Amino acid sequence: MKCNHACGSQEHGLARRSFLGTMLGAGASAGLGTLVRPAAAEELQRQQKRVLVCYLAGGVSQLETWDPKPRTDTGGPFRAIPTSVPGVHISELLPHTAQQMHRLMLVRGVNTNENDHGKGSYIMQTGRRREPSTDYPYMGSLAARLLAPEGAALPGYIHITPGGGGSISAGEAAFLGPRYAPVVLGNGNPPQNTALPDAVSVTSDAARQSLRRQQDERFLRRRRTALTEAYTSTYDQAAALMAQREVFDVSKESEQDHERYGTHDFGRHCLLARRLLENGVTFVKVSHSNYDTHNENFNFHIEQLGEFDRTFATLINDLADRGLLESTLVLVLSEFGRTPRINHLYGRDHWGTAWSIAMSGCGLQLGGTVGATNDNGTEVVDRQVDGGHLFHTYLRALGFDPTDQLTVDGRPVQIADPAAEAIEEVLA
Amino acid sequence: MAVHVRPVLLMLRRCIAVATVVVAVQFLAPAGAAERPERPPAESGSLADQIDGLIDEARELPVAAPADDAEFLRRLYLDLMGTIPPAEETRAFLDDPSTDKRTRLVDRLLASPQHARRMQVWLDVTLMERRGDTHVPSAEWQEYLRRAVLKNRPLDELVREILAADDTDPARRPASKFYLDRGGELNLLVRDVSRLFLGRDLQCAQCHDHPLVGDYEQQHYYGLLAYLSRSFVFSADNQPTVFAEKGVSDPVKFQSVFSPDDTYETLPRVLESEPPAEPQFPGGQEHVVAPADGVRPIPKYSRREQFARDLACADNRAFALNWANRLWALMMGRGLVDPVDFHHSDNPPSHPELLDLLADELVASGFDMRHLMRSIASSATYGRSSALPDGIDPKTLVPEQYASGPLKPLTPEQLCFSLLEATGIAAAHRAAVQQELTTGDPRLGELLAVDSARERLADEVAEQRVYSRLQGNLGAFISLFGAPGGSPQNNVQSTVHQALFLSNGGPLVGWLAPGSSQLVDRLAKLSDADAIAHELYLSALSRPPNDLERGQVAGFLAARAEELAKAVSELAWALCTSSEFRFNH
Repeated sequence: MKCNHACGSQEHGLARRSFLGTMLGAGASAGLGTLVRPAAAEELQRQQKRVLVCYLAGGVSQLETWDPKPRTDTGGPFRAIPTSVPGVHISELLPHTAQQMHRLMLVRGVNTNENDHGKGSYIMQTGRRREPSTDYPYMGSLAARLLAPEGAALPGYIHITPGGGGSISAGEAAFLGPRYAPVVLGNGNPPQNTALPDAVSVTSDAARQSLRRQQDERFLRRRRTALTEAYTSTYDQAAALMAQREVFDVSKESEQDHERYGTHDFGRHCLLARRLLENGVTFVKVSHSNYDTHNENFNFHIEQLGEFDRTFATLINDLADRGLLESTLVLVLSEFGRTPRINHLYGRDHWGTAWSIAMSGCGLQLGGTVGATNDNGTEVVDRQVDGGHLFHTYLRALGFDPTDQLTVDGRPVQIADPAAEAIEEVLA
Repeated sequence: MAVHVRPVLLMLRRCIAVATVVVAVQFLAPAGAAERPERPPAESGSLADQIDGLIDEARELPVAAPADDAEFLRRLYLDLMGTIPPAEETRAFLDDPSTDKRTRLVDRLLASPQHARRMQVWLDVTLMERRGDTHVPSAEWQEYLRRAVLKNRPLDELVREILAADDTDPARRPASKFYLDRGGELNLLVRDVSRLFLGRDLQCAQCHDHPLVGDYEQQHYYGLLAYLSRSFVFSADNQPTVFAEKGVSDPVKFQSVFSPDDTYETLPRVLESEPPAEPQFPGGQEHVVAPADGVRPIPKYSRREQFARDLACADNRAFALNWANRLWALMMGRGLVDPVDFHHSDNPPSHPELLDLLADELVASGFDMRHLMRSIASSATYGRSSALPDGIDPKTLVPEQYASGPLKPLTPEQLCFSLLEATGIAAAHRAAVQQELTTGDPRLGELLAVDSARERLADEVAEQRVYSRLQGNLGAFISLFGAPGGSPQNNVQSTVHQALFLSNGGPLVGWLAPGSSQLVDRLAKLSDADAIAHELYLSALSRPPNDLERGQVAGFLAARAEELAKAVSELAWALCTSSEFRFNH
């Protein structure tokens, strides 16, 4: 029976002694998903690296965005236009983004070989294929764990969704634990439960919190442990988060900025993302729906990208102007691309075989492309990469060694898929 | 590629040194008919003494005083019943002057239907780890577990039923949840069987001998897999999906990723034990029902039944050690082997003799979970206060010395039910159910009142009805306070979202809102601050307030006489969110 799970072969260099040392530490503390924070992380915290992901949900068409194939059997009706980088052309549906091309790197040889929404999304956000026996953390949770300053009041991983209520999506943190799970801001609303209920006044809250602390003080005098400290500190974190609730209030941004970003939801959400990043949030994901264009692909892309283009270009430009782009990794992702073949409903279907993503910031090589597909986009012909390569690349851009080990319930797990490596040529 | 078919005994190789489940309660048949006779208490008493002896001789630190009655009652209730005690129960226990009241309490709780519920939850969460339902509804599976505990069925028998489950007997359909709701994924099943039933996380051994744990070999992984390799998820039109099995299979072969040119082969076997002797049939005659398109095969010889017999039995030491350790961890907050799925020679038990003793006792008692829990609960080690003696810094505590009672964070279920109890909601539902049973259906009332067996049945019916009224509150607690589905649930992380939930948006604020709160409205009617303090502490913390606390409550309420109910609500909230509430101590 052949083994098809790569569970980390680098760990064999680890000495038994150091492994047992780690285990003892793990046993004494939480036990689950105990991760030895690489020493480099302390340094990185000071540099405040951040990540912004624009997630084009449903699967954006690479042919209508980053890798147009005009005048071919698969190209569709749109032209390719020149960009701020001579020789690089993208779809005419992205005129504003084209002017930011010097700040972007296009990866045109993505082959994740996965046409299922859920599985594709998992690959693109964990850098691994789904395994039945282990769930791996999403990069937002990993970033929250590795990059977010200890004791920060704001959540390390925020996901702004087009609609729906707020929630905590514990599964994405996997073995890192729910502390690193995304806080979901449904339609950009502040995190759940961060406002006092109507029945509880500020004075009343102060009174009850002070009573709680008194009670704790007596009880814990002879019982204080790491677990009780972790519990009582969550009330301080709650107070700190509630005090910073204004950070989530995008209406505090100028009317002019609202205009520049667009008055539609995605514009508002991206403006909120800028606000969050400026206030020190480590990882912000903004989802834009819905690109799953099985019919009327071209009309829908005109509509969707009409929102995306100007907003995204404005955001990139702002991050650069404000000096944030150097420390912020920006990614434009989907779960897959769309078929070169145009179906009888003028749609394009799911396609993980030859598609593109865009990256920016964080010291990456910018203003170019890496990888290529053939003339009509049906296969990758140069520098083929999958989710694992991309994940390695993100981690390296953020200053991490993707081959570092995490200790999960006594089992060493490499941060990124051991079967892949970074795309060296886009790293500075 | 070289294929070595190695004799099993010579396989020594290290590549590296390192529902309103008012389930058919049959009203006239006593539910506990098949119950096993209880062991005489003297035996559990002596086991408790042996536990204390082994713990005490290994300890260096001075020990905490014995827990007082209130601390003991709350701890035992949470451990055996899954919730804090009702205030009237606390009052009665504290007022009871008899000297054997703790022993009687342990026995009474273990025999109660609520204990079966508590263990149902524990077994479900341990075995399924809050996975979503796919083929077998949770309600049926949970009821199956509850009834097993209610009858105190031997744990080995229950596990055999789960591991042999093949759906040929519709009454045992729920037992197949373990396999079916893991999608029949062989590698997932082998990992979880090894973790949950053998206390060994063999996942690393899927691809090679464990690089860091010499005891975990790839042949162990594939030995277990060989028992299951003939099994598969079978679906046919209009029939429930089942975990079926063929009577033949290719030999199980494996290769290490470190030496991919060598291929090995193994028969089914549990760790280092001998492969079972398997009946051989002439080719083509292996099945009662032969495999065919759309036809579920039935083999003459089931390797899965063999698996159940070989794994969940007294002769399999790893199985007994695993469960003895898990039951100890349930009561004492950590395993003698910790983590509980990491038994191996470089991670020895903190008290090897004690673990051996508990495993022996588990086997000798016929895998009687109640017997083991009774013995642990009767030990002085269990009954120690969680408060350290003066002069000892709690941070210097070595948990595996058991110098003081451990602090165990409440599980999501314990937290939810304890809050429902503290706020008076559970009591209100109990009263309503009693009303239903006595006056709602006079015939039922009569039937249930006839004799003592019926009285037990009445308790069981009442418990089921109360549970079904309250269980809707669980979801929010599980999603915020539990670990993600499919991952181990025995560790918790405190998050800011939990504090926000208890402070602002969750149900607790409503449960304590003046004007609609059972607890607050009851207390606000009391005559003086002293009575309020007493009832409040008894309801929320299961103990009377001390003088200092009495004084603080009086002072706080005196300043808020204008809005007494609101002030009481703030006090109650503070107690319900205090560390003393959040932990089983």
